[in-house]
This record gives sequence, structure tokens and C-alpha cells, in this order.
Amino acid sequence: MPTAGARVSLKGLRTRLEELPERFTSPAHDERVTSRVGRWLGIAFGLCFVTGLLSHGIQHPPSWFGWPAGPVWLYRVTQGVHVLSGIVAIPLLLAKLWSVYPKLFERPLARSALHALERGSILVLSGAALFELVTGLFNVAQNYLWGFYFPTLHYAVAWVAIGSILVHVAVKLPVIRRGLAGSIDGSRRRFLRTTWLGAGVAFVATAGVTVPLLRSVSVLSWRSARGLPVNRTAAAAGIEVPAGWRLEVVGPRRMSLSLADLAALPQTTAELPIACVEGWSASASWTGVRIRDLLDAVGAPAGTAVQVYSLERSGLYSTSTLPATHTAATLLALRLDGEELTPDHGYPCRIIAPNRPGVLQTKWVTRLEVVA
Amino acid sequence: MRAVLMIAGLAAMAWGAVLATSLTLRDTWQGLAFFVGGPLLHDGLVAPVVGLIGWSIARHVAPRWRTPVLTGAVASGVLGVLAVPLLWRPFGVPTNPGLHDRDYWLGLGIALTVVWATVVITGLVRGRSRPG
Repeated sequence: MPTAGARVSLKGLRTRLEELPERFTSPAHDERVTSRVGRWLGIAFGLCFVTGLLSHGIQHPPSWFGWPAGPVWLYRVTQGVHVLSGIVAIPLLLAKLWSVYPKLFERPLARSALHALERGSILVLSGAALFELVTGLFNVAQNYLWGFYFPTLHYAVAWVAIGSILVHVAVKLPVIRRGLAGSIDGSRRRFLRTTWLGAGVAFVATAGVTVPLLRSVSVLSWRSARGLPVNRTAAAAGIEVPAGWRLEVVGPRRMSLSLADLAALPQTTAELPIACVEGWSASASWTGVRIRDLLDAVGAPAGTAVQVYSLERSGLYSTSTLPATHTAATLLALRLDGEELTPDHGYPCRIIAPNRPGVLQTKWVTRLEVVA
Repeated sequence: MRAVLMIAGLAAMAWGAVLATSLTLRDTWQGLAFFVGGPLLHDGLVAPVVGLIGWSIARHVAPRWRTPVLTGAVASGVLGVLAVPLLWRPFGVPTNPGLHDRDYWLGLGIALTVVWATVVITGLVRGRSRPG
């Protein structure tokens, strides 16, 4: 049983809570500010969603989906946009949430069923948006605070995030129109400028992962300033190349090649980037045998895809499918920048396909099989 | 227009929920904890702390220094947030060659020095052009 005193203080607390929204005096708490920050946040999330969808499509292609082999830098750009628009969205989201923070304390909690629904949808929106940005930021740093498989959940919640953004825009459209039409005075302009500056700082501090010009400037970039990064070492993958290693090529005919046999075939050298799903990218000069030449040698008809198998026995990286569109420009690389491959870069040979995510550039290749 | 946005939005959310049903029970709970944890942490801790810092700067810092100091604090906050997964790695994988192997304490230190040097210079220049 609450005493009379407790009841009085509860009432006092409630009154103070009800007055709270008016006690936020920052010029940021204004629909003209909210709508302007929201517009850029919406653009950032839109870019992030579309480029993420593309990357997902390349890795899990539905039958109707095709992705070209060129230009070779295209995936490097789309995945760079994905990760950097997410990074830039962090300060934008924090500014947007600060701008509407007093609304959290509005009472009554719900005026009607519709109002309750609207408030609930905003909880979903902020939950999904924060989920995507936080898990994305930790994932690019290969810092796994969670036990779940990141791509599955990051992809599912991306749909929830973009969906709740669309619902939010639909609900708020008149307010957004009014806010964007309203003029901005000095103190609000200062808040907006500081927000844009925060977004710029986030970009410059990290964009060097993929923008060569910023490589040494981006102090919080998760790739080194020089060298070609390795995402999975031979030791981590448990690779031991057997003494009598040979490459099996299986098509209408079969072929078995030693490393010396491969090196004796016509060699092609190409400058190709490795572009990781985690946003970093790096160009290098690769030398090896064209996959198309090997397919011709086993009598595979044009337009066939290839299943690539690694010495790595199990797991996500043990095999990949190279689509028919890519066989002409893809190398089975033996050398990197003129030197024999190191174990970490995939010795004895690895796939280097243009315009594909790094996760599909299978290393320590042992078998190529024509897909019927 | 609004109806189209609303229907498309609800459909996308529903599709996201369908995709999430493929998860194991443990992953669902973990995912939900992150989903709910974000707004809780932000609304209950991050926003009040940021508000309090902003309020103290607005109250205690002289007018000519106020904007530069607030801007410097925002830039420092952004840098700090981005540095967390690189500096705090109890769940990080062992360093891979060429990845997350920079000296991030040094990098953060340099970036913060540049930010606060800019704050000081801006404050001094403002003071000269607008005394008081």
C-alpha cells in the first residue's frame, strides 16, 4: 500500500515529467532542423540499402540476377559507398535523435490507437537503424560482440530499417514538407553546420579504407596504409599444401596439372582490385592462367559456370561459383606483383575475378568443376 | 503518395521479419537484445550525457568560445565513437595482416589534437575580430 506521502511525490514527479519537453531549450529541437537532418539521413540509409542489396545479390544470386565482369572497379565503389554511407549515417542519426529527443517525454504516452501505433513504429525505426549501424561498425573492425551470423541478421534488419523509414516518411510527410519549407535562423543553422561537420569528420577519419588519396589521412581506417590485406590466413584456414599437389579441372574431359604445368601455360597479367564486403579495397598486379583457357582445354562449351573448390575443407570459404559472365576475365593467379603467391595470399593458386566481393576470390584452389 | 510509401514500408518490414524467422532461438534472442538495447542505451544514457555536456558548455563557456568548443566536442565525440571497435576488442579476431593493425591510440590522439588546435585558433581569431 503506498502511503499518502509517496502518492504526493509520485504526482509531483509526473508533473515534472510532463513539463520536461518544454525544458529542452536547444535550437535543435525544431521540425525545420529535424527534417533537414532527416533528409540526408534518409539519403544515407537509401544508399546503404541499395548497395547492400547489390552485394547480397552478387553473393546469393537469384536466377534473374546478373552482375557484369566490368568495369572492374564497380564493386569496389558500390561496397565503398555501402560502408561509408553507413559510417556517415552515425553522426546524422545521433543528430536526428537529439533533435526529436524531447518527444520521448511527451505525455500521455498514447492519445489514441493510431498515436500508439506511430510511437511504436518509431521504436522499431530507432531499434533497426541503431542495430544496422552498430553491428556494421563492429563488423568492419572484425570485432564480433555477438554470436549470431552477421550477414543474415544485418540483411534481415536492413529490410525492417528501410521499411520503417518509409512508414515514418509516410506518417510525417506534411511535417517534413512544412519543416523543409520553413527558413532557418542563426542558432539552428549552427546546429546543422555542426552536424554536417560531424558527418565530414566521420568520412575523412575512415574513407581511406577504400579511397587511395585518404589512405594515410584516415587514422581510424581498418586497413593498413600499405600492402595488400589478408582476411583469412593460411594458418586460420588450416591449410597444408600436400607435396604432390595438383589442380584437377573437370568438364567434358578431365585434366590434372602440377604447378609447373600451370606455369608453362600462357600467362596473363592484370591489375585487379580485391574489394572486401567490409569496405576496404586494394589493387594489385596478378599473373596467372585465364579460367576460360582451362575450360577450353577440357572442352567446356562457352557460357558455362565453374565451381571452385579450395584446400580449405569446410566452411563458407571452401567453395564458390564463378558465373559464366566472369570466366573470360578471371585469372587463376600464381603470382602477385611478380612474386610467387605467399601461403596467406593463396599459394599455390587462387581465383582473382574482376568486380566480385573478396569473399568469393577463393584461395588455395585444388579443383575446378564445370557446372552443367 | 503517402499510401504507396506506407504499403511499401509495411511490406519491407514484413519481409525483414520473415527473413529473421530462419534464425535459431539463441540468435533470435541475441538479435532482439541488440535491437532493443540500442534505443535503451541511446535514450537512457547517450542522449542525457550528450545533453548534459552541451548544456554545461552553453552555461559555463564564454560566448566567443561557445560555438568552437561545442563543434570541437561534437567532432571529438564522433571520432571517439568510431574508435571504439578498433580500441576495445575483447571479441575481436586476431589481427589479420594488413587489417586493423594501425596504432589507433596514436591516430585518435593526432585527430583530437588537430580538432582542438582548430578550436583554439578559431576562438582566438573570433576574439580578435569581435572583441568580447
